[in-house]
Amino acid sequence: MTHRKQLLQGRDSGTILSLLVLCSVLSAVSPHFLTLPNLVNVAQQSTIIAIIAAGMTFVIISGGIDLSVGSLVALSGLVAADVLQRGVSVPLAVLLALLTGFAAGIVNGVLVARAHLPPFIATLGTMSVARGGALMYVGGGSISGFGSDFRFLAHDAIVGVPVPVVMMVLVFAVGHVVLTKTRLGRYAYAIGGNETAAVLAGINVQMYKTLIYGICGMLSGLAAVVLTARLNSAQSVAGTMYELDAIAATVIGGTSLLGGRGTMVGTLIGALIMGVLRNGLNLLDVPSYVQQVVIGSVIIAAVYIDLSLKRRAS
Amino acid sequence: MAALCIVLVSACTRRKPDESNRKVVGFAINTLNNPFFVDMKLGAETAASEAGIEVLIQATEREMDVEKQVHILENLIQRNVHVLCVTPNGSKEIIPAILKANARNIPFIVVDSRVDQRALKDAGGWIASFVGSDNDEGGQLAGEFVAQRLGGKGDVAILEGPAGHETGDSRLRGFRQAIAKVPALKVVSSQLAGFDRSQGYSVFQNILVAHPAVRAVFACNDLMALGAVEAIAAAGKTGEIIVVGFDAIDEAREAIRQGSMHASIAQYPAEMGRVAVQTAVRLLKGEPISSEIPTKIRLITQENLGMTDGH
Repeated sequence: MTHRKQLLQGRDSGTILSLLVLCSVLSAVSPHFLTLPNLVNVAQQSTIIAIIAAGMTFVIISGGIDLSVGSLVALSGLVAADVLQRGVSVPLAVLLALLTGFAAGIVNGVLVARAHLPPFIATLGTMSVARGGALMYVGGGSISGFGSDFRFLAHDAIVGVPVPVVMMVLVFAVGHVVLTKTRLGRYAYAIGGNETAAVLAGINVQMYKTLIYGICGMLSGLAAVVLTARLNSAQSVAGTMYELDAIAATVIGGTSLLGGRGTMVGTLIGALIMGVLRNGLNLLDVPSYVQQVVIGSVIIAAVYIDLSLKRRAS
Repeated sequence: MAALCIVLVSACTRRKPDESNRKVVGFAINTLNNPFFVDMKLGAETAASEAGIEVLIQATEREMDVEKQVHILENLIQRNVHVLCVTPNGSKEIIPAILKANARNIPFIVVDSRVDQRALKDAGGWIASFVGSDNDEGGQLAGEFVAQRLGGKGDVAILEGPAGHETGDSRLRGFRQAIAKVPALKVVSSQLAGFDRSQGYSVFQNILVAHPAVRAVFACNDLMALGAVEAIAAAGKTGEIIVVGFDAIDEAREAIRQGSMHASIAQYPAEMGRVAVQTAVRLLKGEPISSEIPTKIRLITQENLGMTDGH
């Protein structure tokens, strides 16, 4: 069996099926859904959660969880915004946002891997610390107004494809290669599958776990850059509850919360399902209370379809 | 571990020595993420230092976090503040906290956003006064502006605040009333965007796809309006759609100056904060106060942007 075949027909088929069903229903009921500008919008609106979820996939595959990502989005966004307004160049500002996320992620990793705190608790703590830090940074306010050389990161397009979508595709392409072809990726599966066995096999579990949380934090920093450029503003309450959307996208994408199982393609589709759903409900002018009911039900249905297809396959 | 806790807690509490004779007003403010409430806080602090009293200002992180606000109120009541000023995060949900303040005889002043009168009465509670502007009237001013700018016809969209939030709801009511008076104006879409900039962006982007003929949008606060401005820019339609917000925060004023936004409703949060604390001071002195203290409201457009009146 070729790898490509396994990729498209095996593990991710349930998720892809859910996305297709959702898209066909929406194009049947709304004439606006299946149009190029709208699909570009959906892709663009999905980028932030998708980029965070890419990092989350690594963490969850390795048997962990990261609740701090939403707060890290706020903190990294403020760092980028602050240094930009102090006249720092755009590439350096982006780099500093990524580094902020990475450093905070490493703290998560050390708490989990070295101090052996349960990931849920460690990142719950850093979630609160980072949010408080962001609020203190600007006294609860926001930093707004940037030059076009920064805003191009959200508003320009490369041959018709918005820059954030290009970034998202790159993140997932690199993530896919890292997860399937490198030591880091294979060890993530090994650690999540059976940590004790991984230790006995001589894997430096502490180091790899720490690195995985670092990557997750860094991707939150990247998402923060996109969000800040898009809104022309970095806010201390930005990213509230994004952790739940990112976890939902990852799990809809077929990653097991028990660890050891999951794919990048699945997570990308999972994030798109969330994006398509929100977009479709707006297009249809569905009353807002009903929207929340629908979103919850679709999450449950998507994961159910995925699980039952897997059960049949095995 | 225990030592660490003690160090952390004492580091945070040490700076305020208790001057027990000083009168203390507790001010539970909505969220300091919104510049509107930052201005209110400054007004309250100014009035407090003028009157020589202490004001304890505490805010929730998020605009609609009612539960956390109730905790803040319980803590302030526990600290025996002399008067409570509150911008409620929920019009019914904070009633239990009002009852607790009533039981301790701590006067309760509601600021900016109203408490559900009927529910309060049914629960047997009372408030000393309401200080704030009329959001309903502000919504109507916004609706009349839209009607005038569109020449009385066209499709209109609305970005609503969080579901069940009294301030957003009364702005919405006022706006819809004004629009309903003009038969050729049609509200084609009215959706929640949580008083949040990022949601304002994506929800309005989606509305633009479903209703490409939309010619005006009213957002129940400026943050959502500013999100919509970015969505309009991303769609290459800057200047084609009338954008009206609410609160007239500095960024919105700047957007109006540049022409990417067209109007906003100014309330005067600093005045609200000042009047609330001054009312508290009068209560402490035993002076009579009115049960309803209105503050100013005004439509801000490019034409009158430069005029200052107490902002």
